[in-house]
Amino acid sequence: MSLILRDATYRYAGVGHPALTDISLEIVPGSVLAVVGANEAGKSTLCLLAAGLAPTTIGGELRGTVEIDGLATIGARPPELAQRCGILFQNAETQLSGTAATVWEEVAFGPRNLSLPLDEVVERTEAALSALGVEELAPRDPGRLSGGQAQLVALAAVLAMRPAYLVLDEPTSQLDPQGTQLVGSALQRLAQESGAGLLVVEHKTDLLASIAEECVVLADGKIVARGSAGDVLADPRLDEWGVEPPSTARIERAARSAGVQEPMLSALATRP
Amino acid sequence: MQPSDARRTPPDFVQPIPTGPYRGLNPTTKLVIAVAEALVAFTVRGWTGPLAVLLVLATTAVAARLGRRLVPFVIATVPLTASILLVNTFLFPGATDVILRIGPFTPTWSGLEAALQATLRVMAFAMSVAVLVLTTRPDELVADLERRGAPRGVTFVIGATVRTIPRVVQRAGEITDAQRARGLDTQGRLWRRVRGVLPLAAPLIFGSLNEVEELTMALEARAFSAAGRRTTLRVFPDGTGQRQLRWAAALLTAALIVLSIAGRLAFLP
Amino acid sequence: MSWLSRQFSTRVLVLIPIAIAINIVLGYTVQTVLKLPIYLDSIGTILVGVLAGPIAGAVTGAAANLIWQYAPGIGGGSIGPFAITAAVIGFMAGLWGYLGVYRPRPASGARLWGAVVIGVAIILLLASRIYNNPAYTDPNIGGYPDWVFTAAIVIAVVASLSVAAFILIRRDAAGAWVAAAGALTGIVAAIVSAPIAAYVFGGVTGSGTDILVAALRQGGADVYNASLGQGLFSDPIDKTITSFVVFIILASLSSRVLARFPLGERLVRPDTAS
Repeated sequence: MSLILRDATYRYAGVGHPALTDISLEIVPGSVLAVVGANEAGKSTLCLLAAGLAPTTIGGELRGTVEIDGLATIGARPPELAQRCGILFQNAETQLSGTAATVWEEVAFGPRNLSLPLDEVVERTEAALSALGVEELAPRDPGRLSGGQAQLVALAAVLAMRPAYLVLDEPTSQLDPQGTQLVGSALQRLAQESGAGLLVVEHKTDLLASIAEECVVLADGKIVARGSAGDVLADPRLDEWGVEPPSTARIERAARSAGVQEPMLSALATRP
Repeated sequence: MQPSDARRTPPDFVQPIPTGPYRGLNPTTKLVIAVAEALVAFTVRGWTGPLAVLLVLATTAVAARLGRRLVPFVIATVPLTASILLVNTFLFPGATDVILRIGPFTPTWSGLEAALQATLRVMAFAMSVAVLVLTTRPDELVADLERRGAPRGVTFVIGATVRTIPRVVQRAGEITDAQRARGLDTQGRLWRRVRGVLPLAAPLIFGSLNEVEELTMALEARAFSAAGRRTTLRVFPDGTGQRQLRWAAALLTAALIVLSIAGRLAFLP
Repeated sequence: MSWLSRQFSTRVLVLIPIAIAINIVLGYTVQTVLKLPIYLDSIGTILVGVLAGPIAGAVTGAAANLIWQYAPGIGGGSIGPFAITAAVIGFMAGLWGYLGVYRPRPASGARLWGAVVIGVAIILLLASRIYNNPAYTDPNIGGYPDWVFTAAIVIAVVASLSVAAFILIRRDAAGAWVAAAGALTGIVAAIVSAPIAAYVFGGVTGSGTDILVAALRQGGADVYNASLGQGLFSDPIDKTITSFVVFIILASLSSRVLARFPLGERLVRPDTAS
């Protein structure tokens, strides 16, 4: 069972040219796939496609296949997709339902929508809150959280749906360094403990280097490189694809061009 | 922190059940009473309707110990009631029973009577709103309506609107402050003021509309459009007595409306 | 039934609270800052009606008024009972949406001037029907102070010039249709509001327009006709301005965004559809 895209080409409604062309990739539960690329390369579109929101909720035309655990996203109903694949967006504030008085109710929003029995709603909510370490935020007003806290709450709300796969579209891009740290370490824990298949889009390649096993580079709506995260993120062509390499690769490159030789070079390139 | 494996019900801070006289009533009961009060005040003409409603309201306000908290609601009606009193006392069409002549002004008794009755109606309505607002949190009302089977769209719109308004107000404040820091004029001549509203209105409207797409996707991703009744987190106490009260209030109001339209209540002062 | 549920898709349900908040915040700001006899508190209602349909528009209008009245902290004085009027405004906006009134119609030359002529003619026609209304002219039911009549003529002229300017500057014939839709909506709103104001609130609303009510009564109008006279003065202006504001908002949204709404297709310029 996996989340699989096969030769997927997607065009937004009301737009002439496709945003993504011939995308094929597979996410297996328990693995983490990183996606990098310049702005407008199609990364966000890929997230919407993988989660099934495109074309189901936002319209547009999909050619090729997108299947989540065997369920084709075309023609599926959003609640079915929601239980299989969750998605986290950049802006924490606009993801919060705006109907919950407390963070607890915000996280319980999804399970309640599924009409689950009350004790299961409670169990899922408590589990999601503790998985992200935000139990003490439970009584707070969701509208009054810091950016990092709001993002964690949004993530908890998605986890409460117990999806097998999770798509994260630049989850730390609008956060200050403190928030980034908060969400980044939560993601690391998630990657190790949750058993879900993750697709993470990020500009912060350092973060990706620490959690992802595989990596894919998007440019102009197509995949231009793929492989293990270590290999791809060390690829010298990252610059021309509009991606900033992780700090370790930059250090190594700078050292190399400054004339540093082995074994000092390997020592510098090792992650702290 | 309670151990999470011991919990099978939501924590206490989630939709806390209110206590106290009148406040402890089921939210839907309080809503039905408020609507009945408003309708009776408006449809039973003359003195009787508004005064009866004000009497009921006074009782509930005392029971719920609202006292001073009602004052802002009273003050809010002043522009309207002042206008009612002035316009109707001095300019009531067809009235000839003049109270006294002060220069060109001729207040009439009929006008004054109509003005006072209208004022009482407005006061009764405003107080019915006040009592409901002061004794019932919007969240608890929405939750109770949901439990009774109100459509998901209805409860979402009510709940979300109540929370969106302060957010939009705050954003408007931020935009205005930012504009003022750039030299926007919010006092001054009319043309300047009109030009001033635009830099506020445009970012406010477009900023708000941008949210629509993201929130739509976020809601769908959490199964918002799933069928079936959402799980109830908290059951607000209800009883046979309250149910009978609601039906009685509804039927009485309906009867009064019908009788009033049919003119059968003209005998009331 | 699916027609109804499509009008209330998740996207529309998300739009409604935002539209209501826009109504309330802008309406409140306009009333306190501009102090003009216009309300501009229907922008959200008309926006939802045009994008989602008549029922959604009606619900938005009614809910906006009721929530404004009953919401903690911002409660209004007399706005609740006018939920009926607001519902009618939203409903009509939905009809205009179906008819594609708010779709931009780029034009030039003869077509453009034709639109100007039609737009101005409609404004003057509606204005003349308003100013010939017995509430203003029949000495038996009411008279009017001269300044009301003069102001009315001035407003009609200014409105015609504004509409003409709008059409010519934007080179868009839709201005004529939007003006007509707005003025008609305003007239209907006034007719629906008059009995509410007259019988519920003793003929006034607590806002600056009560001066006009007083003036009309001074001229001899009875309670109902004074309210109607005031409404026919303020509402068409207000709703026409609101309609133009909504038109500008919709014209600024991309077809990509518009297409996702139930009536969005009817707002898309034919040449920009892919």
